[in-house]
Amino acid sequence: MIHLGGKTVSLKPNQLAPREQTVEMMLERLSQAVVLRDCKTVSRLTEKMVREGLDLYEILNHGLIPGMLEASERFRRGEFFIPELLMSSRALKIGIGVLRPLIQESKKDVLGRVVIGTVKFDLHDIGKNLVIILLEGNGFEIIDLGVDVPPEKFIKAVEKNGAQILAMSSLLTSTMSWMKFTIELLHASGMHRRVKTMVGGAPVTPIFAKNIGADAYCREATSAPSEAKKLLGIEEDGRAVFAK
Amino acid sequence: MLLSLTLVLYSIKIENMREALLDNGQVDRKQSNPKLLILGCAVMERELRQFQNGRVEFKFLDQGLHRTPQNMTKILQTEIDQPCEEEYNAIVLGYGLCSNGIVSVHSQKHTLVVPRIHDCITLFLGSPEYYRQESAKQPGTYYLTPGWIEKGQTPISKYESYVRSYDEETATWVLHEELKHYTRIALIDTGVYPLEPYRKIARQNAEFLGINYEELPGSPLLFKELVCGPWGKNFLIVEKGQSVQQEMFLDL
Repeated sequence: MIHLGGKTVSLKPNQLAPREQTVEMMLERLSQAVVLRDCKTVSRLTEKMVREGLDLYEILNHGLIPGMLEASERFRRGEFFIPELLMSSRALKIGIGVLRPLIQESKKDVLGRVVIGTVKFDLHDIGKNLVIILLEGNGFEIIDLGVDVPPEKFIKAVEKNGAQILAMSSLLTSTMSWMKFTIELLHASGMHRRVKTMVGGAPVTPIFAKNIGADAYCREATSAPSEAKKLLGIEEDGRAVFAK
Repeated sequence: MLLSLTLVLYSIKIENMREALLDNGQVDRKQSNPKLLILGCAVMERELRQFQNGRVEFKFLDQGLHRTPQNMTKILQTEIDQPCEEEYNAIVLGYGLCSNGIVSVHSQKHTLVVPRIHDCITLFLGSPEYYRQESAKQPGTYYLTPGWIEKGQTPISKYESYVRSYDEETATWVLHEELKHYTRIALIDTGVYPLEPYRKIARQNAEFLGINYEELPGSPLLFKELVCGPWGKNFLIVEKGQSVQQEMFLDL
């Protein structure tokens, strides 16, 4: 589909150059395989595209992630339930598992170090674990503190690991205030000058994120890698990593 | 000093408003008409109906709405906007913030009264303090009430539905991923059901997950307040034209 003067026009396959046509179709098939939770196809297509020399970030950002985004949107609309969401995450993880060693190999160092956890009194980690898969896939190093993480534990981990990003997740309106308390503690520690904060989770809104002073808000897990890169001034393909 | 005086005056105004809504028949011209419409979640139907009186009318909606908050908002709004022959003094919602399912809900015609709670467990337990205390004690508590068991899902019923949709191996994996951090099942005795059959089911669920089982005493206090008023600090009064916002529920 392309957009011409406000109209959407379907291109017949033969109107695209042969290679573009194949690449586009393969990426689309890869996306659909993630949506349909088809681990075998995800693995086979990802490997095939790697063999054919496709850009690793192209496979990730235009194949795997759009599939996960669609699955998340369907979940939000009530068309998918937890099993479907988990199974799509599993398929995504398999695809990223193919790319990750290659992405790591192509870089001298990690993009950045992220301390992540679900906030105090909250035990929900499906979204957080998905964010971890996506950030690791993009070349970030993750320190996962698990669930029910008190503010002090977040701050200690940030300090100990020299993390650049502190990422927090919450699935309950009754626990999301702990994000605020953690950010306040980060400020009290003085580390807020060098550590950026990122928040997300179903009940978290952009207004809430702004009000508590978070540096970035992720509407869904799939936006975490691009938000994290923006926070550290890294380009989408991860190339301008140490350009500071 | 001036600030505290203002606050006192403000709270008197709120109190007066609450009492006026309940006691003064400002809109209720026909005495036989109910003065309140209570729009609630089916999970608390019996707990609310025990306080039925001639001044209220009930309408209950499906228990599963909170699972898709976006849809819940639309459904609630449609119900609130339903043209009605009766003039109500207020519409009282038997809903809390419910994963933001109530955010943006408003009425041009009626004052809305909303319990200032995150979810219905506060209502069943009778106070936000008690709920906070129990959740702090064991964050991994899966709360059940007889209404939840009848109308909602339990871990076992979830597992069975996953097996129907997929297979045993997938169902086991999904349920584990979903509930692996839970440490106890707490059955709340809300006092309006004979507990024994529900106790049996709740215990089976705890055994199924291999976690502890406990019973917690419920309380009718907030249900009574919801139906009969006067509405105190645990309720929000949302004026006509105003909409419910997330911030109203948060203690920041």
